[in-house]
Amino acid sequence: MTSVAPGTPLYVHLPFCVRKCSYCDFYSVVAEGQDIDGVLDALLHELRLRAPERPRTVFLGGGTPSFFSVDQLARFFDELERCTGFRTASEEVTVECNPESLDADKARALFELGANRLSIGVQSLRPEILELFDRPHRVEDSWVAWEAARAAGFQRLSLDVIYAVPGQDLAQWERDVATLLAHGPRHVSAYNLAFEEGTRFTRWLAEGRLEALPEELELAFFESTRRLLAEAGLEAYEVSNFALTGHECRHNLNYWANGDYVGIGPSAASKLGRTRFGNARSLSSWRAAVAGASSGLASPDWSETLTPPKSLGETWWLGLRTRRGVSAHAARATAEWSGSDANDPALALARELAAQGWLTQQPAGGWTLTERGLPVADAIARRFLDVEESVRAPVEARE
Amino acid sequence: MDPKFIRNFSIIAHIDHGKSTLADRMLEACQAVEKREMRAQVLDDMDLERERGITIKAHAVTIWFEKEGVRYQLNLIDTPGHVDFNYEVEKSLQACEGALLLVDASQGVEAQTVANAYLAVEADLEIIPVLNKIDLPHARPDEIAEEIEHSIGIDATDALHVSAKTGAGVQKVLEAIVDRIPPPTGNPEAPLRALIFDAVYDEFRGIIVYLRVVDGRLAKRHRVEMMGTGKMYEAVEIGRFTPQMKPTDELTAGDVGYFISNIKRLGDVRIGDTMVIHKGPKVEMLPGYKPPSHMVFADFYPTNSGDFENLREALETLSLSDSSFSFEPVTSEALGFGFRCGFLGLLHMEIIQQRLEREHDMDMIQTAPTVTYRVETKSGEQREIHSPGQLPSADQYEHLYEPIARATILIPSEFIGPVMQIANDHRGIYVRQEYLSTTRVQLVYDVPLAEIIYDFYDKLKSATRGYGTLNYEISGYKADNLVKLRILVNGSEVDALSSIVHSEQADPRGRAAIKKLRKEIPRHLFEIPLQAAVGGRIIARENIAALRKDVTAKCYGGDITRKRKLLEKQKEGKRRMRQVGSVEIPQSAFLAVLGDREGSK
Ligand SMILES: Nc1nc2c(ncn2[C@@H]2O[C@H](COP(=O)(O)OP(=O)(O)O)[C@@H](O)[C@H]2O)c(=O)[nH]1
Ligand code: SF4
Repeated sequence: MTSVAPGTPLYVHLPFCVRKCSYCDFYSVVAEGQDIDGVLDALLHELRLRAPERPRTVFLGGGTPSFFSVDQLARFFDELERCTGFRTASEEVTVECNPESLDADKARALFELGANRLSIGVQSLRPEILELFDRPHRVEDSWVAWEAARAAGFQRLSLDVIYAVPGQDLAQWERDVATLLAHGPRHVSAYNLAFEEGTRFTRWLAEGRLEALPEELELAFFESTRRLLAEAGLEAYEVSNFALTGHECRHNLNYWANGDYVGIGPSAASKLGRTRFGNARSLSSWRAAVAGASSGLASPDWSETLTPPKSLGETWWLGLRTRRGVSAHAARATAEWSGSDANDPALALARELAAQGWLTQQPAGGWTLTERGLPVADAIARRFLDVEESVRAPVEARE
Repeated sequence: MDPKFIRNFSIIAHIDHGKSTLADRMLEACQAVEKREMRAQVLDDMDLERERGITIKAHAVTIWFEKEGVRYQLNLIDTPGHVDFNYEVEKSLQACEGALLLVDASQGVEAQTVANAYLAVEADLEIIPVLNKIDLPHARPDEIAEEIEHSIGIDATDALHVSAKTGAGVQKVLEAIVDRIPPPTGNPEAPLRALIFDAVYDEFRGIIVYLRVVDGRLAKRHRVEMMGTGKMYEAVEIGRFTPQMKPTDELTAGDVGYFISNIKRLGDVRIGDTMVIHKGPKVEMLPGYKPPSHMVFADFYPTNSGDFENLREALETLSLSDSSFSFEPVTSEALGFGFRCGFLGLLHMEIIQQRLEREHDMDMIQTAPTVTYRVETKSGEQREIHSPGQLPSADQYEHLYEPIARATILIPSEFIGPVMQIANDHRGIYVRQEYLSTTRVQLVYDVPLAEIIYDFYDKLKSATRGYGTLNYEISGYKADNLVKLRILVNGSEVDALSSIVHSEQADPRGRAAIKKLRKEIPRHLFEIPLQAAVGGRIIARENIAALRKDVTAKCYGGDITRKRKLLEKQKEGKRRMRQVGSVEIPQSAFLAVLGDREGSK
């Protein structure tokens, strides 16, 4: 593996959960009966092999990182410190936590070990929805965890919620948003429920046991969520992310800027320059690969080369998800696309779509989706991802 | 070899009635192939054929059978089983003196079998009825024998009972071939005349010509001439199919074999032509050569307009191995440059389309097939119309004629009512009806070919739970009140979606097409109006609503590649989409004007 620039953001995937939520397609395994310490050892080993020095941001995701015991977390963070010096170098250290495993002791431990931001998986304020999700916590547990985190000293806290669940009532959701806001979060991630391939939810949908909400209603959820959160000062800075100014998740902003990052742990992906690659979505294959890496045999489970045209389309797609938007010039630099405004196919497309009201150019020059464009961001993204092909076959004109 | 010891025959059978299995058994019985190296069903050798269970191209095999101490040469000439290839069937039968009429004793006679049996009767062949699958508990040999008598009008009292599966009765079949089929009558001492009944393209050896020597002898190195084309060749190699190609020095009157010279293009060889000795004595040409007649036309456009030249090359290469389709460049306002291709029929069209995709990796948009119309202009001039776009405006012509097919339909009698209804709905004109047995009926209708292409066959199949079979031949042209059904997408006419229909059907067909298009065209960022019109009159309209919500909720570092691939996968269908104006139209939509079929195949 090539050496990684110091400062590169670091993601670590901790793959265990109490049980598997019915909608979830993250790589996670039910912890019971698993060799958790063995996995931790492998994670530490991979950190030693691949972690960047002084990462600007660190993000522990999963799975359920808070599932680890205080002792295990201490082993992890101490090794992380030895490998990277993150405690003084990282401006943001986020840990994803679930209510059932975040108590006062663990919150305090995390704080003391060097975390400065927690994201709490509340998911819903409705017992029947938590049940449908097959979550291991109750609504009350979320607020207990929330208070524990605050008491431990965390200033930067985020709440994770899901809406547009089959059968969900919009007015009730609006009341739930008010309840969330009453707790004073400075960051909220609110996701429209997605039916991901391979999940129980998707199977239930196919079997007719669940019915997705109609598109118009989903749109109403989407718009009302944005409005209510914005009214409380939490502006959407990305499709599903809302924060008071200055409380945005910097680690995630880097993804949407199509920046580099290193990912460690099973299923984790890394991007370094023109390569994106990832670890296996399997504990045993990943462990074998990590073990092999020390003897110089490792190769990632998958990798792809991001040619400049591909990267250019991606940069626009990801950037348009954010309020910051995309600057044509910066996108070309990110994508290592040599050219100018005059022959930038993405910029030409942006202008075309702007003329149709989907995009707009901010006074500072960045392109963003309009209120009309945002709900159809994927359809617009597909156009930008097409840029790759239009570049490959530039001669023949479209009639 | 003395013609006395030669028998030339083919097997007439419906798909799945056991032709290949019986052929295998006969080959095995005569040890033409070793049992252990016997690939199941040696006669069909193209992938596509295997998959579709039809024999596209005729093949031949020579086997040696001993009866009462005498060795006989039996030449089995395989015939294609589909109406599209009727002409090939005719030519193959012309090379024989007899035919086995093979019928599945648990199924009964099918329309196609009847049609081919008629061809055999016309060609004066000795027909031996063979009832197969008698091992099945529900075999009804006596009833089926009766069906044969009623439908074909031959005596089936001494029909042979066999099981190609177990081998029971196969020996009797071989004996009957020797005893009942007459030996060839040609004169070995007369000047050479050979019937070319088939030709196939071989990548390495060029064209392999299948021939039946009618008179005289053909030896290696002979210089020969094709009477029809006037082309001259040297017999570089001649031989028999055993079933592998086995060279010999001479083929004489009555023999069936192959001929190889340096023929590069299949188009240079005409099925039905007569081969004679170059500069030899004058002889009469064998009867019956006909050029292929294209009954169905469709346009192929490359999905990527830059692939036009590649498509041309692919079509040219394909025409080396299939000389019975035609192609010429066309331009469509909506789809740009492509080719209009003529086919023997619908199946032939599908085969060509699939071969282009599989063998040449072409991504194409194919328009709905249309039949060949004839138009008579005010000035009395007659012209062929191969696509709706070629139709002059209504005030420019006097009459529009469409091809009529005489359709023979065989169905279990319980379905008579619904099938007659379908025939009426498809502008069919009743000709006659005949009970083949107490349970099966043969209906004959004259139906416009366009209706058969539209959805007649699909409707027939579903109304008869798959038991109905159909065969047809073109019986002539007829003038009718036909109009152009125009389809407008987002306000502009898409010529490739238009069709020619009977004026009384314009409304329902227009509505059906629009409904189908609404399902097939994906939603866009804007609303897309769809309209069907005859002349300036709008007869149906629907809108495809604009996309309202289409945004991935979660997108983080670990997901980017996966999510991008998902987005691209949604685009994937686009490989087979064409941009028409600002609307992307998928391939399946171009077939929308084709009746009630479920999507494309
Ligand atoms: N039970 C039974 N099945 C048979 C017999 N002959 C053929 N089959 C089966 O019928 C099917 C069609 O046979 P095949 O020879 O491929 O038919 P073709 O389409 O006419 O060449 C195959 O599954 C055969 O195994 C038979 O005598 N008895
Ligand atoms: S807790 Fe999170 S990672 Fe674990 S199964 Fe549930 S949604 Fe998936």
